[in-house]
Amino acid sequence: MPTLTADRVEAVLRRGGSARVDDHVAPRFREGQRVLARNIHPRGHTRIPRYVRGHHGVIHRDHGVFVFPDSHAGSGDPRPQHVYSVRFEAAELWGPDAGGRDAVYVDLWDDYLEAAP
Amino acid sequence: MNGPHDLGGLHGLGPVQPESNEPVFHAAWERRAFAITLAMGAHGQWNLDQSRHARENTDPLTYLSQSYYEIWLRGLETLMRERGMVNEAEIQTRMAELSGGES
Repeated sequence: MPTLTADRVEAVLRRGGSARVDDHVAPRFREGQRVLARNIHPRGHTRIPRYVRGHHGVIHRDHGVFVFPDSHAGSGDPRPQHVYSVRFEAAELWGPDAGGRDAVYVDLWDDYLEAAP
Repeated sequence: MNGPHDLGGLHGLGPVQPESNEPVFHAAWERRAFAITLAMGAHGQWNLDQSRHARENTDPLTYLSQSYYEIWLRGLETLMRERGMVNEAEIQTRMAELSGGES
């Protein structure tokens, strides 16, 4: 097992721990496309917040390809895929009491999303 | 998992209270807990997502009553126990030493 010695600490901290990877994976969605956050309840680790599940949003931006946390936390399988900033209207998430001009942007992986009409 | 870490939309926690000039660590032990976590992570025995899951994977009462670095320390203990890098007796022995005033 490699040991983190004092002389390596600064370099390791500066490098950080990005989950971005160089794999070439085709995006399943494009910017501006309407999507549905899947209504899933995995027993293991997941990064999809409960409050977006089952709700519609729009792909705002494609961040690129990242390790998929759900499989990576389980078996260690990186299953690289695109992550998008998805815009949800506040009223879509919180109902009619939400501010009419408010929106929430959530970073979501390809496997959390389905195409929506 | 539908765990206690997923707080979005939960009522009753009160407003976020930012501190002016907030220190990176609020107690000396937090600095140490963070350093030990990084040092053990360098052994490559788990990835970032596994460490996140170790922190969130507990009962809500425990999770919500622990501070940020208490959660980190508990998560680290879990990861190390699972991999046989530390055992309960070693943790208890060290706890006893510390409660006796040793640092």
